[in-house]
Amino acid sequence: MKFEGTLDIAAPRERVWAFLTDPRQVTACAPDVQSLEVADATHFKVVVRTGVGPVKATFAMNMEFVDLVAPGRATVRARGQAPGSAVEMVNTLELSAVGDRTTMRWTSEVTVSGMIASVGARFMQGAADKTTQQVFTCIKQKLEGG
Amino acid sequence: MAVELGGIGHSVKRKEDARFIRGRGQYVDDVKLPGMLHLDIVRSPYAHARIKGIDPSKALAVKGVLAVITGKDLVPLKLEWMPTLMSDKQMVLPTDTVLYQSQEVAAVVATDRYTAADGVAAVEVEYEPLPVVVDPKKALEPGAPVLRADREQKNNHIWHWEVGDKAATDKAFKDAEVVVKQDIYIPRIHVASIETCGIVASFDKVEGKLTVWMTTQAPHAIRTVIALVAGHLGLSEQKIRVISPDIGGGFGGKVPVYPGYVLAIGASVLTGSPVKWVEDRSENLQADSFARDYHITAEVAAKKDGTMQALRVKTIADHGAFDSAANPSKFPAGLFHIITGSYPFQAAHVEVDGVYTNKPPGGIAYRCSFRVTEAVHTIERMVDILADKVGKDAAEIRLQNFIPPAAFPFKSTLGWEYDSGNYAAALKLAMEKIGYKDLLKEQAEKRKRGELMGIGISSFTEIVGAGPSKHFDILGIKMFDSAEIRVHPTGKATARLGVKSQGQGHETTFAQIIAEELGLPVGDIAVEEGDTDTAPYGLGTYASRSTPVAGAATALAARKIREKAKLIAAHLLEANPDDVEWVDHKFQVKGVPAKSKTMQEVAFAAYTNHPQGMEAGLEAVDYYDPPNLTYPFGSYICVVDIDRGTGEVKIRRFVAVDDCGTIINPMIVEGQIHGGLTMGLAPALYEQITYDEQGNNQAGTFMDYLLPTAMETPKWETAKTTTPSPHHPIGAKGVGESATVGAPAAIANAVVDALSHLGVRHIDIPITPWKVQQLLKEKGVAE
Repeated sequence: MKFEGTLDIAAPRERVWAFLTDPRQVTACAPDVQSLEVADATHFKVVVRTGVGPVKATFAMNMEFVDLVAPGRATVRARGQAPGSAVEMVNTLELSAVGDRTTMRWTSEVTVSGMIASVGARFMQGAADKTTQQVFTCIKQKLEGG
Repeated sequence: MAVELGGIGHSVKRKEDARFIRGRGQYVDDVKLPGMLHLDIVRSPYAHARIKGIDPSKALAVKGVLAVITGKDLVPLKLEWMPTLMSDKQMVLPTDTVLYQSQEVAAVVATDRYTAADGVAAVEVEYEPLPVVVDPKKALEPGAPVLRADREQKNNHIWHWEVGDKAATDKAFKDAEVVVKQDIYIPRIHVASIETCGIVASFDKVEGKLTVWMTTQAPHAIRTVIALVAGHLGLSEQKIRVISPDIGGGFGGKVPVYPGYVLAIGASVLTGSPVKWVEDRSENLQADSFARDYHITAEVAAKKDGTMQALRVKTIADHGAFDSAANPSKFPAGLFHIITGSYPFQAAHVEVDGVYTNKPPGGIAYRCSFRVTEAVHTIERMVDILADKVGKDAAEIRLQNFIPPAAFPFKSTLGWEYDSGNYAAALKLAMEKIGYKDLLKEQAEKRKRGELMGIGISSFTEIVGAGPSKHFDILGIKMFDSAEIRVHPTGKATARLGVKSQGQGHETTFAQIIAEELGLPVGDIAVEEGDTDTAPYGLGTYASRSTPVAGAATALAARKIREKAKLIAAHLLEANPDDVEWVDHKFQVKGVPAKSKTMQEVAFAAYTNHPQGMEAGLEAVDYYDPPNLTYPFGSYICVVDIDRGTGEVKIRRFVAVDDCGTIINPMIVEGQIHGGLTMGLAPALYEQITYDEQGNNQAGTFMDYLLPTAMETPKWETAKTTTPSPHHPIGAKGVGESATVGAPAAIANAVVDALSHLGVRHIDIPITPWKVQQLLKEKGVAE
C-alpha cells in the first residue's frame, strides 16, 4: 500500500530537518507510542499499540534511518511484529525551502502481513489517513508554534 | 413395509436429535480430563519467509506456560514432517521456512487456554520475508521462486494427470461443426464447519496407551496413520484408541491430519498429561484445508444441431504449499473425470496439473465426492454455452443429448460405468414442477420491459460410494467399509460401523436398514460409530460413501444373521429349514402362518436353546467391497430475478429433483438435500477465499467469509424419481452431496441466462452483486 502527500510547514528547512530526524521529537508526535529506545544515531526501536478495524495489536518496530542527506532527503525503514501480524514500512521525505517555509514531500510504502492484513485490510486506508492527519497536525503545531 | 418397525422408506424421527436439541451432544471440546493441559499455536504472519530465530524465553516466563515446542525440537523425534493423504509430506512445524500465512510455527503448552494464548503472544520469531507466489499460473513460470526446497524437483509443478483419448478428441475438434470454449475458475472455498477442529490427546505412560478424542471423519484410518507416523516413539496400534465423538459438521474438512493434532499427541506423550487443542474460527478459515481452486479451460465440439461430440479440458489445480488433498491414491484429481456428466461423448480428454503456491494446503472436498462439483459445474456451464451458440433452449439441448435409460449400465467416455439412470425423467419432472413453459413466456415479456429474469438448469450426474478396492485406496488402505451387528438375548441389537456420522443421521438410517432386514423395531437398535476400540475397521464418512458402502455392509451383516436365525427358527418350529420362510418380518413354516417365530424369540433361543452343534449367539460382521460406485443424479431448475441497480441476484424459485436410488428415510434425505442446496447456494453467490499479493488470506473471519443464513436461503422445492442402484444390496446410492454438487451450476446458469440477451456468456462464481453490477455497467444497463 502506498501513501504520499505534501505538507507545507511555516518553519525554515533546517529546523524542520532537525525535528524530523530526531526520533525523540518525531515519536512524540505519533499517537499510541508506548516506548522509544534510541540505539544509535540511525537506529531506534518504538513500541506502538495500534488498532486497525477490529484488530488491536502492540507492534515492536525496528526503525532505521537510511539515505540521510541533510537537510533535504531522508528514508526511514521500519520493520515490526505483533503476535500474528507483521508490518514493513519505507518512508521517504524530501524537504525544499520556500523562503522561510518548508515544503515536505513524503511517501510511505506499507506492507502488512498476517492477521492485521487479513482482517484489517479494508480499514487500512481510513486508519492511515487518520494517523497521518494526527502526526502532521502535531508536527506543524510544534514547528510553527515556537 | 411394517410402519411400527420403522424400516426402509419410513420417515423415522432422528434418534440422535434427542440429545442434540437438548444441548447434550458430546463434542471434542466437551471432553475435560483431570490435569488437562492446553496447547495453542504460534502462526506465521508471512506467506513465505525464512525463520531466522525463535526466542521462547518471554513465553516461558509467563506463569503457567510449561513448554514451547519448535520445529527443531521435533527433529530428534522425527516428527517435523508428516505424510499427507496424497503421498506428499507436510510440515508439522518448520525448521527453516514457512510457506503460507497462518502456518504453524511453534506450539505453546500451558495449564489453561488463556495462558497458552498469552504464551503464544510472547514467543518472538524473527523472519526474513521471501518472494510470495499466489497465482498458480505464475508459479509455473520459469524463474518463479521454488517453494518446496525439500523436493528433488526444482519447480512448483506437483504432478500431471490425464485421462481419455487425446488423438480421437483432437480429431473430433478438428472435424467439428461447432466448437465452444470457456475459461472457468472454481474458486478456493472453505467448508467452515460450525465446530472447528480439535483434539484431546491422553497418553498413559504406565500402560503405554494413547487415547485421543478427535474431530475426524475417519477414526480408524487416523489410528493407523498415528501408528505409522509415531510408531518409532513407542505408539503401537493396539494401544491407540481414537474416539470421534459427536461432530459438528465435517464436509471433507475433517478428513486430513492437521499439525495441531500431531502437536497435541506429541505433547501428551512427552508430558504424560492430557493435552487439548481446539482451533479458533480464524485459524480454521486460514490454515485448514481448503476446497476447489481449479482453473479450468473447457471446450466442447458439437454438431450444428447441438449434438455434443467431444470434450477437451485443461486444468491447473492450486494445491497450496503441500498437496494434502484427500483423494484416493490413484486419482490425484479425484473423480474429476466424471466431467462428461450426463452425456455420451464420442471422445474426451482431460488434463490436470497440480501446482504449489504460498497458500494453505489442500484441496479437500467441500461436501462433494472428490472434485465432482468442479466437474459438474464445468460441464453444465458448457452445455448452456453450447445451447446459446447453436440457438437451442437449455432444456431441449439436454433432453437431446442425455444418455438414454436403455443404455445403462453405461460405460462413460472416460472409463466409468454408470450403474443406473433416467435423466430425462428427472428433468421433465423438474420442468413440470416449476412450470417451465410459462416461465419462458414470462421471461420474454419481462425482457421487453427491460426486467432481468433468468432460468437455469443443471442436470448433474454424481459419482459416490468409493469404492471398489481394485481402484480405491487411501495410503494403501482399500476403501471397503464395515458393519458388525450383535442381537442380544432379549431381541435388542447393537450395530457398530466403520463410518462416522457428522450430522447425517446414521444412528437412525442404519438402524432402519437393520429393522427392515431383521424385523426388529428401529427403537430397539443402537448404532454406535467412531470408537476404534469397539467398531470394526472402516475408512470413514465422506464422498457420500456411508450408505453405499457401510449401508451395504449393514444389510449384508443383517442377512448373515437372518441366515443363522432361520436355522434356529426351524429348530424352534421343529421344521426343516428349507420349509421355513421369511414373511412379514418373521419366520414361518411355508403355508402355515400360524406356525411362526419372531426375531425376538429366535434371539432368546440363540442364547438359551440353540440347536446342538450350532455356535451360540446371534451376531455377524461384514466388510463390504463395493463392485462399483453409485451414480446419483438429478435435475435442478432455478429462477432468478436481478436488480438492475444493485446487481443483486434474488432466487425466486428453486426446484430440485433428486434420484438417489432407494430411499431409507425420506425425511433425512430431504434434510440432506436442503442442507446440500444451501451449501450449493453458498459458493454460487457468496463464499470465496481470496489472497492479496503478499499471500494474506482476505477471508479469515465470518465478517469476510460470507456464509448464507436463513435470510439468504430461498425456499427449496424438492421432488424425486427413484432409480435403484442395481448392484447395491438395497438399491441405495447416497445423497449427502448431490445438492451441493448440482446447485451452483443451476444458479450460475440462471444468472447468465438473465443476462444472455446482453451478450453475457459466463460469470465465474461467486456471482456477487458487485460482479453483476460491473457487467450491467459495461453493457450500459445499470441504473
